Amino acid sequence: MNQKILDQMKNNFLKTNPIFTTPKNVHPLEQRIVLKNYQVIDPESIIEYIAKDGYQSISKALKMTQEDVVNEVIKSKLRGRGGVGFPTGLKWKFALEYESDEKYVICNADEGEPGTFMDRHILEGDPHNNIEGMMIAGYAIGATKGYIYVRAEYPLAAARLQKAIYDAKELGILGNNIFDTNFNFNIEIRLGAGAFICGEETALMESIEGKRGLSRNKPPFPAQIGLFEEPTIINNVETIASITSIITNGGEWYKKIGTEKSTGTKVFSLSGKTKNNGIFEIPMGISLREVIYNIGGGMKEGSTFKAAFTGGPSGGVLDETHLDVIIDFDSLVKYSSIMGSGGIIIADQNNCIIDTIKHFMEFNADESCGKCTPCREGTTILYNMLDDITKGKSSMEDLEKLKHLAHVVSSTSLCGLGQAAPDPIFSAIRHFYDEFVDHIKHKVCKAGVCDMPVTKGGE
Amino acid sequence: MEKLIKFKIDGVEYNAKENETVLDVCKKNDIFIPTFCHDDRFASEAACRMCLVETSNSNKLMTSCTLIPTEGVEIQTNSDIVLEARQEVLKLTWASHPNDCVVCEADGNCKLQDYMYYYDIPSEKEYNIEVRDFEIDDSNKFFYIDPSKCILCGKCINVCDQLVGVGALSFNERGKDTYVSFAFNKGMDFSTCVSCGNCVSVCPTGALVEKSHTKFRTKETRKVRTTCPYCGVGCQFNLVLKGDTVVRVDPINTTPNEGLLCIKGKFAYRYINHPNRLKSPLIKKNGVFYEATWEEAYTLIVNKISQAKKTYGSSAFAGLTSAKCTNEENYLFQKFMRIIFGTNNIDHCARLCHASTVTGLATTLGSGAMTNSISEVKNHDVIFVIGSNTTETHPVIGSFMRQAKKSGAKIIVAEPRKIDLAKEADLFVQIKPGTNVALLNGMMNVIYNENLYDKEFIRKRTENFDDFIKVVKQYPPERCAKICGCSVDGIIEAARIYAAGEKAGIYYAMGITQHSNGTNHVKSIANLAMLTGNIGKESSGINPLRGQNNVQGACDVGGLPDVYPGYQKVHLPEVKAKFEKAWGVKLSDEIGHSLLSHITHGAKDHSIKFLYIMGENPIVSDPDITNVKEALNNMNFIVVQDIFLTETAQYADVVLPASSYAEKDGTFTNTERRVQRIRKALDPIGDSKPDWVIIQELMTLLGYPQHFNHPSEIMDEIASLSPIYAGINYDRIDKIGLQWPVHNKNHPGTKYLHKDKFSRGLGLFTPIEYLGAKELPDDEYPLTLTTGRVLYHFHTRTMTGKCTRINELVPNNFIEINQITAKKYKLDDMEEVIIKSRRGETTAEVHITDIIGDNIIFMPFHFADGANMLTNVVLDETCDIPELKVAACEIVKKS
Amino acid sequence: MNHLKEIDLKQFGIIIDRFKDIKGPLIPILHEAENLYGYIPIEIQNLISQKLKISNAEINGVASFYTMFHTEPTGKYQIGICTGTTCHLNGSSKLLKHLEQSLDIKEGETTSDGQFTIIPVKCIGNCDVGPNITVDGRVHNNMNIKKLDKIIEDLSKR
Ligand SMILES: Cc1cc2nc3c(=O)[nH]c(=O)nc-3n(C[C@H](O)[C@H](O)[C@H](O)COP(=O)(O)O)c2cc1C
Ligand code: SF4
Ligand code: FES
Repeated sequence: MNQKILDQMKNNFLKTNPIFTTPKNVHPLEQRIVLKNYQVIDPESIIEYIAKDGYQSISKALKMTQEDVVNEVIKSKLRGRGGVGFPTGLKWKFALEYESDEKYVICNADEGEPGTFMDRHILEGDPHNNIEGMMIAGYAIGATKGYIYVRAEYPLAAARLQKAIYDAKELGILGNNIFDTNFNFNIEIRLGAGAFICGEETALMESIEGKRGLSRNKPPFPAQIGLFEEPTIINNVETIASITSIITNGGEWYKKIGTEKSTGTKVFSLSGKTKNNGIFEIPMGISLREVIYNIGGGMKEGSTFKAAFTGGPSGGVLDETHLDVIIDFDSLVKYSSIMGSGGIIIADQNNCIIDTIKHFMEFNADESCGKCTPCREGTTILYNMLDDITKGKSSMEDLEKLKHLAHVVSSTSLCGLGQAAPDPIFSAIRHFYDEFVDHIKHKVCKAGVCDMPVTKGGE
Repeated sequence: MEKLIKFKIDGVEYNAKENETVLDVCKKNDIFIPTFCHDDRFASEAACRMCLVETSNSNKLMTSCTLIPTEGVEIQTNSDIVLEARQEVLKLTWASHPNDCVVCEADGNCKLQDYMYYYDIPSEKEYNIEVRDFEIDDSNKFFYIDPSKCILCGKCINVCDQLVGVGALSFNERGKDTYVSFAFNKGMDFSTCVSCGNCVSVCPTGALVEKSHTKFRTKETRKVRTTCPYCGVGCQFNLVLKGDTVVRVDPINTTPNEGLLCIKGKFAYRYINHPNRLKSPLIKKNGVFYEATWEEAYTLIVNKISQAKKTYGSSAFAGLTSAKCTNEENYLFQKFMRIIFGTNNIDHCARLCHASTVTGLATTLGSGAMTNSISEVKNHDVIFVIGSNTTETHPVIGSFMRQAKKSGAKIIVAEPRKIDLAKEADLFVQIKPGTNVALLNGMMNVIYNENLYDKEFIRKRTENFDDFIKVVKQYPPERCAKICGCSVDGIIEAARIYAAGEKAGIYYAMGITQHSNGTNHVKSIANLAMLTGNIGKESSGINPLRGQNNVQGACDVGGLPDVYPGYQKVHLPEVKAKFEKAWGVKLSDEIGHSLLSHITHGAKDHSIKFLYIMGENPIVSDPDITNVKEALNNMNFIVVQDIFLTETAQYADVVLPASSYAEKDGTFTNTERRVQRIRKALDPIGDSKPDWVIIQELMTLLGYPQHFNHPSEIMDEIASLSPIYAGINYDRIDKIGLQWPVHNKNHPGTKYLHKDKFSRGLGLFTPIEYLGAKELPDDEYPLTLTTGRVLYHFHTRTMTGKCTRINELVPNNFIEINQITAKKYKLDDMEEVIIKSRRGETTAEVHITDIIGDNIIFMPFHFADGANMLTNVVLDETCDIPELKVAACEIVKKS
Repeated sequence: MNHLKEIDLKQFGIIIDRFKDIKGPLIPILHEAENLYGYIPIEIQNLISQKLKISNAEINGVASFYTMFHTEPTGKYQIGICTGTTCHLNGSSKLLKHLEQSLDIKEGETTSDGQFTIIPVKCIGNCDVGPNITVDGRVHNNMNIKKLDKIIEDLSKR
């Protein structure tokens, strides 16, 4: 494969099939970069991808130096979409700087956070874009091997990726001497096996190595000692899917989209009690109100907005006073919540906040790898405390104890799971204190969810 | 210059070396940091979170076990935040832990308990979580796992996997359901566990606990540091005693074992307090032993010696000294024989194991011992194991080999059986017993022809290359493969892998030495190492693994018929003069008889009339037992000094009760030439006395007064007479032993031999032809018998056989044969059969395995009237080692 | 499908060999075993142990860590109720309770006739159309008790 053939393939295809499908339900507020080909091309057709300028970015990148590619990403101010928002370019820079014969690129497609499903759509809708993004990452840091860690719950995404890799290899896009350079790159798919913790980057690497998915202590960071003890970058699906456009259009172009500190677009997945649920890609900086009432089409029949859960089981909960808060990496922190990876769940009057927080804690306790003491024991104890509250078995003193232990677990745990698991508790107590008082003092669950000594409706 | 990082801990400045963690620095400077999961021997996982500290450059608490300090950083190990974090982590650890310290076996030996106390954590639970409730797995004979008491620090798993290299344990399930178990949680039958107990040693709580024989609380115990009495590794451990009873053994993390032990070291200590220990002297009258006083026994012995001396003269005496006794005792024993009896007829079972090493390496290199140190095992890039079942016979060295493999070393194994190490090896060459020389010549042929040899080394450091290579050229791999019964490729690949090693080590044991041309086998090994220049460097050399705890030392201090202490030849006039002067007596310059040439097989010419045996059991250990029995029956008088009434002691006229290693001070020299202390932990059992005391008292009674107050004074005398021990005294070896040669009191000892120059000057290449064993299978005896050791027993079972649980693992004699051999004889697994050879017969249980070749029988040599009823007493001409490794035999069905 | 398929060590040995050249082959191999047998029999774990030179304890430890791997035989059909947050908010815990009652087993268990196993399922990324259930990995959206009963009934008849 070389530039000429690639252009020829594109032109030949466009000559005979000039028309692509128009995606349905694109909201006017949307700007599709990551989702540029979503529902536009046949995801199983490499030719259609090529016709949409596919594999032109890697071809362009290969004409740049590794440093220049990294700099372009730094310039774009792209921040990782996996939840933490670490600057992607910086991560690549570290990995480039560590010298080693072998380095790895990992695409994190474990998407285990409940209420989150954009990565699935991105992969199912445009697998080649991810492959190309990984190739660029590989070239930039000097890796020759990439892994995509897909959760086994996403068989379609895995199958489409597998076909895409096969097709790209067949065409000589993946493999050795890519675009007649001396860049070699191969990609292997690895399936998860039902462990949320394997979305955590170090546990994920353990899993690829064939071990129990136990998190590793950091430092050393993966960029230094990662997969098979080699320098490794690990990026979220959506992060990787942003790369091709950044290389094609330049970091400057990308930087102008979104807000100053959170550049670019973000794909959100909306679910719960709103009318129009699903995924949508929006420049960073949209408010919660717009998400719910504009894009989400408002609340469902009979539902009144009560709360928005963002950032999943380690995120937080917002109430109606926060409707005008902007959703990006930093704004929500002031309100004890996070954007996380972009899952937004809307709750109504029939949902109990404490029951939901308890449900999060159950999830965290179930998914704790069990390696470090605070997370292993603490998440279960926190769950027990919340459970007591939902059963009317607690006192206000216990609420203090709950807060105290939440602090302990987050400050002493080994990895992100334990460190963030108590977070929903903080925002729930802050924004829904009355609901705690109801449960604890009055033994009442107004939503009618909890099995309280006195049930239903309250007064 | 090494870069040092300056930083502060609790306001005081410290330096850290590159890659040193904050915890490392704290430990060095006695700053207390609590830890559960950390162990200096493997990378920290930062799981327990006990070691959290505050740092000035992060608002997060960091685990000091993984934290590498940066220049100028300030660490707080004692702030309120840190203390609270520790308390909380403890409360969380405690939350699900059973609250039963009062009845817990680990009470007083539990880190959780200690830290709870130090950090004022009440035993009342602060947090509500279900207490761990798992089934106890007590399928192991020596210890049990109670996962309910486990705090999931993971040390047991790491020790088993990363250090021992067995990997029998693992975490199961996850989160709060996590527990530690053997594979499938189905007990020992499904497990690869070898019961080394290293997991038990590292467990900080009561989760992994030895099944104790004696009820004891840790506060009632005391500890005495000493050296393991089993194999030549010489592991360091503490004997834990309640009163005068040993209740536990705790390994020490130091040279050479680095905190590891094997099943024998850890659990086979019960013999010390065994009721059958000899407690008073015994005198035989009309075939029956009667208890006697020391005085009666001594009087009888003194009289008999005087009589015999008058009647037969010096040459009728012989003494067997002991590889199980201390250096000091062996020294005194040879002095006793040489001075009192005027004879050099002294030998011991080194004759049976490494006599050929001593002669073979002495002639080619100049000294007959391991050239490298045990600590160098981990750093080889190639390990060539031939004629050694290392993981069973020297388990801790076997573990270090596995560690080497984990860090990238290649392992080649050449053996008649597919031993455990062979299964893990990069290359296994299965050869017929007794064909080592063919294999080695074949490998050297390949190395020569493929130009993989080290010309520079050969030119500078060796001689006689041309003669040697002429013979090697006669051994193309095709020819050798036929002799060995292996593939040509196997030989070629072994040659290439070995020759590619920059730091290659050869490890061998009795598979090389116990042949009628054993010396040649050893010389052939020396040829291979010199051909590739893999000797005289760190982690590069020839390593004969010595079997018994002090077989190296017994030889070093003169327990041999041809040398005085320090391998000084008895027949050399200047040597004789030196010892005559030192001891103030006339000495014989006649080289003595070796063990088999006249002593235990002297029946025919009856030249030995009086035999003095200290801690040896030839009736089990020597080849052709029928012959040995006859020899002993023909003696006029036999004295046996031992801790039990052994099979050999039954033949004695007087039996003297000796003290075990736990009841005395002294030194053992391990296989890496390291002289290490043993320490008295309890008073001699009954009326028994340490061997050195007995010998000294007899010498005094016999007119050569000896009045050593303490074994250290004997060591001083050894040092004054033996140049290789010259620099050794008890003060210097108090903590860590010294490796000989130690030329003077300032010399640091010798880590590896032959650096820059061989002990003999130039290394001598020797042309070695393949000769084969003396007795090969024929129509009458169509099978080949080979012998060896098993993990669970030591030598003639005098000690391990008294430890019931150990003995139960291998309670009786057995043979290993493969399916094809079994079919031929229509044998079933576990069936009892008779094995016959030209020397005699024995019975054994059939074990059918796939690790052995067709028509070959393996039998352990530990059992009385077992393998050695069959073995062949044909001797190597140069060193008198018998051909224990090959004999022709036949199987006869019992019914 | 896989139900109670006979264990063929030779055949599985060939499967293991297919993964010989990849780094970290254990989890892909365990997937193969799970797909073939519906669980990972001890014999297979031992075989993998021998071939990959990984201790059987470690293999067992890995298999038991991941919820998708089973070390005991599972039912002919694996039913999972999504317990992701959105499904939870939409009442999936009631569905789970109902299923547990109607099959008379708890999550993670298999019916005595070997027909059904209720497997734990965390969010499957179909939140916008939940509550969801999975049957042998296939997702069924917008679930309610009636639909669930019908699915079980249909499967039982097969
Ligand atoms: C418990 C836990 C689960 C995680 N799960 C995921 C996940 O499913 N997908 C993901 O991309 N990142 C996940 N992360 C974040 C990753 O550890 C990592 O930060 C991310 O893959 C980096 O990619 P990015 O820089 O592109 O965001 C998780 C983190 C934690 C602590
Ligand atoms: S058994 Fe002991 S050593 Fe092993 S993890 Fe548990 S507490 Fe730690
Ligand atoms: S010792 Fe540092 S976390 Fe356990």
